[in-house]
Amino acid sequence: MNVYLLQVINGIGVGMLYFLLAVGLSIIFGLLRFVNFAHGAFYLLGAYFCFQAIAWGLNFWLALLIVPFVVGALAWLIEKVLLRYVYAQAHEFHILVTVGLALVIQELVIVIWGPLGDNVATPAILQGVVMWGDFIYPKYRLFVIGFTSVFACLLWWLLEGTRLGSAVRAGSESTEMVSLLGINVFRVFSLVFALGAATAALAGVLAAPIRGVEPFMGIEALGIAFVIVVVGGMGSFSGALVGGLLIGIVQSIMSTLWPEGARLMIYVAMAAVLLLRPHGLLGRG
Amino acid sequence: MPRLTTHLQLILALAVTLVLPLVMQSGSLATEVLIYALAVLGCNLLLGYTGLLSFGQGIFFGMGSYTVGILLTRSGLPLPVALVAAVVVGALAALLVGWFAIRQRGTYFVMLTLAFSQLFYFLAYSLPDLTGGDNGLLDVPRPAIGVGGHELLSLASPWQFYALVAASFFLVFWLLLRITNSVFGRTLLAIRDNEARAAAVGYNVRLFKLAVFALSGAVTALAGAFLAIMTGIAPLSSIEYHTSEMILVMTVIGGTGNLFASVLGAAFYVLFSDWLSSLWPRWLMLLGFLLIAVSLFMQKGLWGLGERIWLAVRRKGTPGHAPKSTENGS
Repeated sequence: MNVYLLQVINGIGVGMLYFLLAVGLSIIFGLLRFVNFAHGAFYLLGAYFCFQAIAWGLNFWLALLIVPFVVGALAWLIEKVLLRYVYAQAHEFHILVTVGLALVIQELVIVIWGPLGDNVATPAILQGVVMWGDFIYPKYRLFVIGFTSVFACLLWWLLEGTRLGSAVRAGSESTEMVSLLGINVFRVFSLVFALGAATAALAGVLAAPIRGVEPFMGIEALGIAFVIVVVGGMGSFSGALVGGLLIGIVQSIMSTLWPEGARLMIYVAMAAVLLLRPHGLLGRG
Repeated sequence: MPRLTTHLQLILALAVTLVLPLVMQSGSLATEVLIYALAVLGCNLLLGYTGLLSFGQGIFFGMGSYTVGILLTRSGLPLPVALVAAVVVGALAALLVGWFAIRQRGTYFVMLTLAFSQLFYFLAYSLPDLTGGDNGLLDVPRPAIGVGGHELLSLASPWQFYALVAASFFLVFWLLLRITNSVFGRTLLAIRDNEARAAAVGYNVRLFKLAVFALSGAVTALAGAFLAIMTGIAPLSSIEYHTSEMILVMTVIGGTGNLFASVLGAAFYVLFSDWLSSLWPRWLMLLGFLLIAVSLFMQKGLWGLGERIWLAVRRKGTPGHAPKSTENGS
């Protein structure tokens, strides 16, 4: 029994990372109405920047603070010089541009850091495990759960309690209306795109000490983010949270029952949810 | 420019199959062009004719590879039977994926096709007894085609195999031309242009989409089967996301206005990548830039570019006779 409890808690840790990964994608979709296929690439960049920062002798905490801003700024720039010009095109070209972008970023990563992966050391304070009686859990994973929970609350406040958040939420209902109300929608677009990329990068930084870095982690993450958004329902914060946790827990439990098939079961879970609720668990018809 | 007629497309396709052996040194590279042209045709049917952007074409490609791989290594069935089986399996896989994905539209549909391509990848990865897992299926034989022990066509040399692939390619191309020009094909265009209208007119949109999905899966699986037979392996990479992406990129680069554009896209990609990959292992980056450029500046792909050049040349030849309206004719 203890094994399963441990796996559920593990799953919550993984699930919170998945939530971070998916929430940016979901918010970007909600407002800009396109799926960002480069989302996994921003996650990839986050992980590699963290790896590089530590290789330069900076510490993990600094990387955790700076990397999301760096990737966010990069995304902001990309939105301004590139994506802005495809908004007028048919929707498949929005997707194709980001596919091209993801390809460029992935290949750049291989050119700079090589095709083989690497490990990222867990920060010294968080090495080892915590013990409560016979319950043992890695410190770092506990930190990830705590940190992402705090971050999720902050993000929720940003979306629900600030002016920018109102603009984002109103914009996902009707962009024209928001722009009629005198808000510079394009500025909101850039900010939201940057914010989405920054959360993906944050997920990358946090994931790096757990799973290491390798150039193809981006596309894997993209697939998982899609599953979560499909399971939870598109464009919603709570959907990403519920979907992320569900998928994280499914993956963790399956990794004790059938290790080779754990990742397969993520997608099977998605198919099952789709059968029962075609618009996702929290999706609006 | 006059609309590219069915006959002209057919002649162009025939010309490609005949010219490739004349201009190319490597039989297997020429075969690869036609194999990917098949896969791209399948993708074009969805994207160009029905407006469905599918990131799941690798599923059907891989299923085709695995089906012939398993049948030829384990059962010793004749090659044509294995090919037909691959086509059937591809169509069935497409029906299954389509049944889930087609319930959604637009972006949701796109995401679902990618998620399903990951599902099938991990499925193949998790069943090493059947698929060879990470290693793939090795030593897929290439038996000669014969009737009752009487050999009709040995496939031992690359050009002999090319002949088989070229004949199949031409047959499929002709069939798809027939299909896209039929009432069925016209209905697909109606769905692409305005789904709500097509539904209002009384067409069962979902059924049509499912049918074209199955057709696309069948053609793509045939391509995958040919590649497995040519290379002698059915690797895990054939069912990977990268394969889906590659097929889609070829489709977009070629253009989606007509079927022959797909042949152009596949030929460009295969030959370009063969040349570049020997120069620079990270040539995929250039492809990324190319994809961005195509999305920004030439949404009609190589075919559209050729069309524009042709128009410009003709306009110069006959001044004051500039046909403006043909620019957006599809």
